[in-house]
Amino acid sequence: MSNIKRRDFVKALGVGTALGAVGFPSISRAGKAKVIVIGGGYGGATCAKYLKRYDSGIDVTLIEKNQNYYSCPFSNEVLGGEKTLDEIKFGYGGLSGHGINVVHDEVVDIDTGGKKVKLKGGATQGYDYLVVSPGIGFKWGAIEGYDEAAAEKMPHAWKAGPQTALLRQQLEAMEDGGVVMLAAPPNPFRCPPGPYERAAQIAHYLKHHKPKSKLIIMDSKDKFSKQGLFMQGYEKFYKGIIEWRSAANDGKVLGVDADEGMVITEFDEFKPAVANIIPPQTAGAIAHKAGLTNDAGWCPVDQKTFESSIAKDVFVIGDSCIAGAMPKSGYSANSQGKVCAAAIATRVNNEKMPDPSYLNTCYSLITPDWGISVAAVYQLDGDAIKGVQGAGGLSPMDASAADRKAESMYARSWFKNITNDIFG
Amino acid sequence: MKKSRLSALLMAAGLLAGANAMAGDMRAAVVSNPCAGCHGTDGASAGEAPVIAGLSRVYLMQTMQNYKNGTRFSTIMGRIAKGYDSGQMNDMAVFYSELPWVDGKQDIDADLAAKGKDLHNSRGCNTCHGANGISPMPAAPRLAGQFADYMVVQMQYYQDPAKPKVPMAMPMQGMLAGLSEDDLKALAAFYASQK
Repeated sequence: MSNIKRRDFVKALGVGTALGAVGFPSISRAGKAKVIVIGGGYGGATCAKYLKRYDSGIDVTLIEKNQNYYSCPFSNEVLGGEKTLDEIKFGYGGLSGHGINVVHDEVVDIDTGGKKVKLKGGATQGYDYLVVSPGIGFKWGAIEGYDEAAAEKMPHAWKAGPQTALLRQQLEAMEDGGVVMLAAPPNPFRCPPGPYERAAQIAHYLKHHKPKSKLIIMDSKDKFSKQGLFMQGYEKFYKGIIEWRSAANDGKVLGVDADEGMVITEFDEFKPAVANIIPPQTAGAIAHKAGLTNDAGWCPVDQKTFESSIAKDVFVIGDSCIAGAMPKSGYSANSQGKVCAAAIATRVNNEKMPDPSYLNTCYSLITPDWGISVAAVYQLDGDAIKGVQGAGGLSPMDASAADRKAESMYARSWFKNITNDIFG
Repeated sequence: MKKSRLSALLMAAGLLAGANAMAGDMRAAVVSNPCAGCHGTDGASAGEAPVIAGLSRVYLMQTMQNYKNGTRFSTIMGRIAKGYDSGQMNDMAVFYSELPWVDGKQDIDADLAAKGKDLHNSRGCNTCHGANGISPMPAAPRLAGQFADYMVVQMQYYQDPAKPKVPMAMPMQGMLAGLSEDDLKALAAFYASQK
């Protein structure tokens, strides 16, 4: 029987929706394997949802410490004033509705040998398979003087939520004519185009509300994602407002004095009105605690399944993992969550995992009507995730204003669709 | 009670299907599900990227090929389509064509849609796209319930002689010639309003 006919048969039974697009109907009974997913962001929440879609018989528990999730993508638009914090906030009711057991607690330890996790609330839960998707951690102190307390004065806003609100408040409170300093981190870090989109969004706010103000990007690098497109956009819309200072031009922030409001480089020091310090990054804290990281501070994984190279039956997805050529982005995490879900579902069912396919698209908004993008399709090449030759790339430098506007529309559309794909 | 009967039926379905069919389903799902990031879960876009669920297999396959070889203009799909071979495209086309169409949720101006209906008929759009934007021709995409903003952008491409278009869509340039942006918005509102 062809797969089409089989699917018709399943549909005829009126259970096509319950099973999702694909299921393992022969063995769909509850409790055949227990999967715990740590972290309800772009990676973890997607993986939990798609595990249920691939096989509703798998017992899926999602452990997330927060009641709501604030999306990092489009948090820059909150800073720019185009979106509110509520518009980037998502709850977990949708996932509960798919039969996922959502537990709001924090995993404080993982026993990979005994296959159980310990929760802050005191409980211990065993698993057959564990998915770890904790996002990023910050290297506190890598910029001298920049620790968690300093971040309350000089926000990073690189995890959305209260930090986003704090930075927005500081921008609103700033007097016209002030300097905003944005310290961009060294590679690798979450959302490579993110700091540069943020600069544009903040500049958009300054241009319309505080036109005598300036924004200086202090960079730890000499080049960055979509650089040509960003610089073109800055020149077109924010000339005289945005200045980019590369590492070679003393742009690297080495230290701060948060109490004094000072930002320090090798040869200079500044006292900006607002300092947004995005520090160097590493895998999420629980990945370190569980010993899933390598010397560089990130998690090595099998590139076909995202199973940890260090611990059996433990999978790491999203920003914490090393995923070959894929950037640390929301779309990457979403795509990896689906591949990982397929890997676990096929393993549980003794099926062969098909060739994985991965995708990433990152839109950035220079203005509400000026969008740019980078995209890539990835495949497994040997044992490495590599971009498919000849595919992907950047929006053209010479695109028309109409095309940039269309991309801005698709950027907002992307946000609606991907958040619905994850939390809906 | 209901559940156990279901399980028995499902088990029968699974046994009949065999491992190969299952593997085929899984292969198609793994290559197709990443599209959801922009086109919505199961291709049911929340807007304004187009709904792709329930479009014909022929149209989906041709569209991916056209994007890949540059015969249809796009802002981003050309870059993405180049990442897939024809086998993968076929898997995607089958996967999404078998899913049910879901009307795009959007606000529609009834007066605009009425003006669009007149244009649809007077301009002869109905020749290929049916009475209400659902065509009997598998190569002509369903327009009924599609996102209006997306359709306006596409019609502007068809109006632009500099934008590449497939031979089948060449007539679109003439059909839409002389229509203003407001006319295109009216047409789009009509199609968006249809079920």
